[in-house]
Amino acid sequence: MSEFITVTLNGLTLGGLYFLVASGFTLVFGLMRVVNLAHGSLYLLGGYIGWSIGNATGNWVLAVILAPLGVAVVGVILQQALLRRIQGQDLREALVTIGVSIVVADLLLAQYGGQNYEYTLPDIINGPVNLGIANLTYPAYRVFILGIALVIGIGLWFLLRRTRLGMIIRAGIDDRDMVSAMGINVQMVFAIVFGLGALLAGLAGVIGGSNLSVRPGDDGLYLLYSLIVVIIGGMGSVGGAALGALLVGLVSQYGLAYIPTYSILITFALMIVVLAVRPQGLLGRRV
Amino acid sequence: MTILRVARIACLIAIVLFLLTFPLFASQFLVVQIGIQSLFLGIVALSLIFLAGYGGMVSLAQMTLYGASGYLLAILTVTYNLPWFVGVIAGLLFSTLLAAIFALISVRSQGIYFIMITLAEAMLVFYYADQDRIFTNGHTGINGVQAPTVGSLVLTDPTTFYYMTLLIAALVYLGLRYLVRSPFGLALQGIRDNAQRMQSLGFYVYAHRVAAFTLAGLIAGIAGILGTWYDGAISPGSIDLTRTINILVIAVLGGLSYFEGAFIGATFFVVVTTYASSFTDRFNTLIGLALLAVALFFPDGLVGLSRKTVQLITRTTVWRGRVPIPLSSHKPVPAPGNSRTVASDSVAEDEQFMIVSVKPEEEEKQP
Repeated sequence: MSEFITVTLNGLTLGGLYFLVASGFTLVFGLMRVVNLAHGSLYLLGGYIGWSIGNATGNWVLAVILAPLGVAVVGVILQQALLRRIQGQDLREALVTIGVSIVVADLLLAQYGGQNYEYTLPDIINGPVNLGIANLTYPAYRVFILGIALVIGIGLWFLLRRTRLGMIIRAGIDDRDMVSAMGINVQMVFAIVFGLGALLAGLAGVIGGSNLSVRPGDDGLYLLYSLIVVIIGGMGSVGGAALGALLVGLVSQYGLAYIPTYSILITFALMIVVLAVRPQGLLGRRV
Repeated sequence: MTILRVARIACLIAIVLFLLTFPLFASQFLVVQIGIQSLFLGIVALSLIFLAGYGGMVSLAQMTLYGASGYLLAILTVTYNLPWFVGVIAGLLFSTLLAAIFALISVRSQGIYFIMITLAEAMLVFYYADQDRIFTNGHTGINGVQAPTVGSLVLTDPTTFYYMTLLIAALVYLGLRYLVRSPFGLALQGIRDNAQRMQSLGFYVYAHRVAAFTLAGLIAGIAGILGTWYDGAISPGSIDLTRTINILVIAVLGGLSYFEGAFIGATFFVVVTTYASSFTDRFNTLIGLALLAVALFFPDGLVGLSRKTVQLITRTTVWRGRVPIPLSSHKPVPAPGNSRTVASDSVAEDEQFMIVSVKPEEEEKQP
């Protein structure tokens, strides 16, 4: 029983991390129809920058705040310098983001080498915490991940549902041309949303890197999970990303606990079932 | 016109002669490192170009299908010690079957969704091969795969292997050229341009897409057999994200809509990675930058670039009556609110992604 609860908690916290990564991916896709295949690289970039800041200043909180901002700047530059030129041509956009991801991965490898980097966490979230259920102790940091995913989720909900910018973004998802005809500077909104997406990827990089470690290859892994989460949840839907992340997190952890060798196939099966029943994803709209 | 024709035939003969006599004058290093690798990577890229250029499906799963036949060949011939032809036949069947399964999952989606789903399929198979200890032997993979000796043909001999790979590459290339002119190939191109119209004309769109994807899986599988013999081993590293994307890079460098581009792109790629790695560790950055340059400035790849140059030099009207259509799934509409005005002639140049002889109707508008 306690094993089951631990596995469930693992699934939930991992789902929280996947949500952090995938929310930025789906936000950018929903508004701009850009499949940012460099999203995993932005995650990795955030992880490395955060580690460097934490290592230099000894302050983890500073890393959590500054690294995502740095990645957001990189994201805006990427969007303005490269993607804006070829807006609306989705294959070329995908190719450009792939090119960027190759270059970023290679340069990060040159800078940081192949080893793993581990963060030093503040004492308050380092170490186990007693949950008070079935006398279980659980890593405090993982509970923190869940909390931060909730905060980001609520924050995104508030941004999209309760602010003027969110209103513009939602309108843009439905009909870009009309929004622009209403006199709104769509290019500005694009830059903001792409920056926000990169910010979330960078944040996930620091949060996820603090969970285990930062290492080359994480970019591909988190790109894969972003893809699966938004394919399952519905492309462009933030709520779908939350649902998809939760499902993928739980299913992959149950798989890992009970059928370790083939756990990845369970995730695959989940994707196939969803695509067979709802090709647009669970909360996606028909495309 | 006639001069152009003569020049083309002369070029063709020169290329064929060059390929046939390559092992006679080139060093063994060149034959093995550049020649054979370009050929089997070219075959994988060929399967992608067939899907992308003629079926409108940019698949990122081709390297995975390559791995499928390679893995089964390795498992059957090394782990179970079965004869080579059992491994080859089973491997080809397996990659074809896996392609059919992938197709059933993914062909209902189009454009960018298709790319995402095939990428997810590819990555899932990669992580499976990395995890599984029983069949695929985890991270290490399977070593000691050897090309067989068939009668008097010793395929472990580099020159013999080169000629076999060349023969197979030529057969696949010619076969695909024939296929795209057949009723099936024409229907496929019709579906690429306007699936709705083809459907109302009575074509079974879904079945055509599945068939094309399955065939491409077989082609990638053929390359998988050759590549696994060449490497003598297969591991998750042979089908990882980098390798998957390399195939896309090769196809895009060559030009996503020309079959010849597959081999030109592959040769370019293999030469760059072979020689750049001797003077810099950052050759992946070079590859990435090359991809960026092609995607941003030469959407038609090297073949398109050379054709444009030829056009510019001869200033003939070879392409008159043919309408260029963009390769992307919807037309590059100047973005709303874009403060930068795009000169109309540069747009026209950018749109020359693919030359077809039919005038495409308005593409379906995405909701």
